[in-house]
Amino acid sequence: MNMDNEISLEDLSFLQLSDSFFPTGLYTTSNGLEALFYEGKLKKPKHLQDLIKTFLFQQIGPTDCTALGNVYDCINSSDLAEILRTDQMIYSMKLIEEVREASVRSGIQLLRCVNSFVLGNGILEHYQRLVKNGEASGVYPVSFAVACNSLSITKYRAGLMLLYGFTITVVAAAIRLGILQHLEGQKVIHNLKPSILSSVHSNIQKPLSSMWQFAPIIDITQIKHEQMDSKMFVT
Amino acid sequence: MKKSAFSMSPRRIPRIGIGGPVGCGKTMLIEQVVPLLSLDGYKVGIISNDVISKEDAERMRKNLATEKGLMSEDLVIGVATGGCPHTAIREDPSMNISIVEEMESKHDYLDLIFIESGGDNITTTFSPALADYFIYIIDVSAGDKYPRKRGLGIETCDLLVINKIDLAPHVGASLKVMERDAKRIRGDKPFIFVNSRTGKGTKEVASYIIKDVLFESPPWTSNKN
Repeated sequence: MNMDNEISLEDLSFLQLSDSFFPTGLYTTSNGLEALFYEGKLKKPKHLQDLIKTFLFQQIGPTDCTALGNVYDCINSSDLAEILRTDQMIYSMKLIEEVREASVRSGIQLLRCVNSFVLGNGILEHYQRLVKNGEASGVYPVSFAVACNSLSITKYRAGLMLLYGFTITVVAAAIRLGILQHLEGQKVIHNLKPSILSSVHSNIQKPLSSMWQFAPIIDITQIKHEQMDSKMFVT
Repeated sequence: MKKSAFSMSPRRIPRIGIGGPVGCGKTMLIEQVVPLLSLDGYKVGIISNDVISKEDAERMRKNLATEKGLMSEDLVIGVATGGCPHTAIREDPSMNISIVEEMESKHDYLDLIFIESGGDNITTTFSPALADYFIYIIDVSAGDKYPRKRGLGIETCDLLVINKIDLAPHVGASLKVMERDAKRIRGDKPFIFVNSRTGKGTKEVASYIIKDVLFESPPWTSNKN
């Protein structure tokens, strides 16, 4: 058990990368929430909570979180080729163009940002080189894993940050859309903590070959959002 | 895997941020200035941060690309900013930088990239990582008090444009007051009175861009040839 006085630079890095102030551009995304809102399908905090649970257990958990865990394992075994394979596989599993593009854009900007203050990390430099050469996409969960690892953040904590960060993005979008108010938003986040934990535990140790997703209504909503003329958010 | 469209770009193309409140004439200013720059052979790309629609980007694409043929249609890109236009150009310009770099990768012959964004006078300012030159535009219909109300946009921009001067007598705004206050607030930094609808003053805007952003260098493509 950790003693109360055991604090470290890694703890601060954990806070830095999970802060919504960290510049990845993810605040521009709603993950389809905006389309659901305009269709009148999201009216109460409970609806939002259920939607995020679906994301956590049926989409981003069994895909992005599993990919992140595999990148950590590849780094531990110095298997650089497998990092590239993970990048390609998770990229191809992002079915909706706008979601895929947003993930790549955010991932590359995250890499660039971390590279500006973490010096001499071989894996970080290697992966950024692959992205620059067009061999890897830079998709967010892989970039995030590489960045967290370069700051000595442990695998499970990185998984928590990934899913917590996703949850925050969707709740923040809901508040901006007026679906719920700021206090309700914090309550939704609090209520989702067990789901975030559970999804990390269920998915982070799984092999790459077991990645899956099944959230067809979300997929269709994200496609509809892509085609909306008037919108505040990227899908 | 094919080369990512989002890879870091090989050449940084000069970038101009154009900010201003909704309806002040940012889009129309760009529509006036781009043809003037084109006359001198300069090639331009445009990124439009619209608060809630693609209307401005679609209008510029139609007017400048489809109808006038001054650029290819993929050189006008609309960006959604999650309702946070100020954040998207200052605290966290990641998405805009990503799109600028995509444009730089695909069109490395460009001379300039315009980045348009809505934003009030209080908080609007572009990150130097995103834009090299900042034009802030206001219009007289918001009242002649606007320049003296200061704010980051009015005080820090490289060029202040005061648009719709033809409306001044109709809304009781004094251009003399605006001129006096703009000089007092901005010191030596320039400002221009413009009527984007008729084109009055837009040649001066283009001249400032050629002098202060392009340093009067010839178009990039003529250098390469």
